[in-house]
Amino acid sequence: MIWLTWRQFRVQALVTAVAVGLFAAYMLYLGEDVRHAYSSARGHCGSGGDCAPALADFQARYRDTMLFLAAGLALGIALLGTFWGAPLVARELETGTHRLVWNQSVTRRRWLGVKLLSVGLAAVAAAGVAGALLTWAAHPVDEASANRFDTILFGARNIAPAAYALFAVTLGTVVGLVVRRAVPAIAVTMAAFIAVQFLVPTMVRPHLVPPKTTTMAMPADAVNRVRSLGSIGGGAVVGGVTLPDEPGAWISGTSALLTADGRPLGEGRFNACLNSPPKTGAGGRFGDTAVCLGELDLHIEITYQPGDRYWTFQCLEAGFYLLLSGLLAAFGLWRVRHRLN
Amino acid sequence: MPHDESRPPVLHAEGLTKRYGRRGRPALDGVDLTVPPDRIIGLVGPNGAGKSTLLHLACGLIEPTSGGLRVLGSRPAADAAHLARVGFMAQDAPVYRSFSVADHLRLGAKLNPGWDMAFAERRVREAGLDPHQRAGGLSGGQRAQLALTIAAAKRPELLIFDEPAAALDPLARQGFLQNLMRFVSELGAGAVLSSHLLGDVERVCDHIIVLCGARVQVAGDVGDLLAGHRALVAPRGRLAAPPPGAELIGTTHDDRHSRAVVRLDVPDRGVPAPPSWPSEPVTLEELVLAYMSRAESQTVSHTGSRQEVSR
Repeated sequence: MIWLTWRQFRVQALVTAVAVGLFAAYMLYLGEDVRHAYSSARGHCGSGGDCAPALADFQARYRDTMLFLAAGLALGIALLGTFWGAPLVARELETGTHRLVWNQSVTRRRWLGVKLLSVGLAAVAAAGVAGALLTWAAHPVDEASANRFDTILFGARNIAPAAYALFAVTLGTVVGLVVRRAVPAIAVTMAAFIAVQFLVPTMVRPHLVPPKTTTMAMPADAVNRVRSLGSIGGGAVVGGVTLPDEPGAWISGTSALLTADGRPLGEGRFNACLNSPPKTGAGGRFGDTAVCLGELDLHIEITYQPGDRYWTFQCLEAGFYLLLSGLLAAFGLWRVRHRLN
Repeated sequence: MPHDESRPPVLHAEGLTKRYGRRGRPALDGVDLTVPPDRIIGLVGPNGAGKSTLLHLACGLIEPTSGGLRVLGSRPAADAAHLARVGFMAQDAPVYRSFSVADHLRLGAKLNPGWDMAFAERRVREAGLDPHQRAGGLSGGQRAQLALTIAAAKRPELLIFDEPAAALDPLARQGFLQNLMRFVSELGAGAVLSSHLLGDVERVCDHIIVLCGARVQVAGDVGDLLAGHRALVAPRGRLAAPPPGAELIGTTHDDRHSRAVVRLDVPDRGVPAPPSWPSEPVTLEELVLAYMSRAESQTVSHTGSRQEVSR
């Protein structure tokens, strides 16, 4: 069975091995490049240097590359699902060869089980290697930017890509088993995988562990640390809050600006500070507005995941995808025995 | 052939029904069937009669909607051991196009504990196949030979062939089928062979199942069937009700005579008089056609339209 799986799979395996090899070569080059840039940026730190702007420059220089690579890795994993998984059974059903192979002395469950396991493990290996190399290459950038929970970057680091790959292949195989035709199975697999990849970070990931909550007072200097004030929808809200005591934390929720009695700040007073604050000549990002808001004795409530929960989240996310793969595989093994007409 | 009554029947079906989809017309409708061991079985019927459905059920590719079927005493494809006992060659002889002939033999060897490589290589040689040829480049007949070899070289007790000669031209059919039967007997296996052409099966099979309109019309050993039926010949228009002790199956007419195929309640007793029209032995073709036409006319009168069953 393993011989047959390899005989049918060897072309795809070889193509993927070449692709992973090219990716690895680029990662080695990029990793060296990033390290060089990082050490020269850190050269500005120390006594009296312009450390923060140099590190900000360093992050900005690689930000697009990192986003591009994360998206590219996700696409590569989706392709594993569509071109390894989807045709695995669908092609047999389409060409009628299932009637040949299912009448050898191997049960259909074992046939599907061996195929799923072999191709699934190959996908885990390919995505695992690519993910590990990317994690290594990106490490200095991640260290400098301290946002490892970033929605896009989180899935392109450490063990998450390997779990995604196992899920993609299992999904593709089971879709192929149900749809029974390779090309529609490829399309359905692609759509379903992308949908899951969008839904999990927004619907599942924030709830994997109950978040912590904290209250943060908003004097003028705290107001100046946020990224934005107000929103298109109106309301006394702030955006882009960071916790000074919790570097690398994932802020999952921020309340509106609250007054001392815990009620939301009235929009009229907020807009008055925003549009016509008393002139004080204060500096900072928001200047007079920050001073005006700071005098109102405001606070906000924040829900967040501390930065040291990063590995908990990696493991839980991988476990969630593993569970999905297991359920899909169980369904596929049941269906291949009982529901093929 | 020796008949050992203690061995389970090759096929035993009770109320076997298969429906594709929830609302579809059944492809098989309450089939009851028992086929004793050590037979070469011919499954005959028009296209869409349910032959492939019955054979797919027999090798466990599909499951019945209701009713039961046992093959060699077990549920079809119950486990690996049972799979090893039944060989199946599907219609159109599917093979892996990118695999060479030798790859297919290797596949057989890897997936079947009882694989007989010497037999497989000899069969490939006799069929004139090049082991290095890709299966995608084989002709229909060569592909059939390859699929046949794979089905047979695992040394099953029962070989099932779904329209094995369909891909061949008429000239090659007879030779192919006789060759097929020769090595079936060499293997000492039983065989089931389906065809929409009676000519394909009547020379090689000793047990016939006529399947038409999703039901078994008649089944039995060829000798018993021929002994159990007679043809009555009478001047045209003079054949009325069937005589007592016989059931009228079908009547054909030419300009002056009517010829009725009847089934005798007690075989070999002749047809009781009156009216004692001359009666003759029937041919197998005549008998099968009579049952098929009867099934056809019943279907038309029951449903008002011709029955079309997919697959």
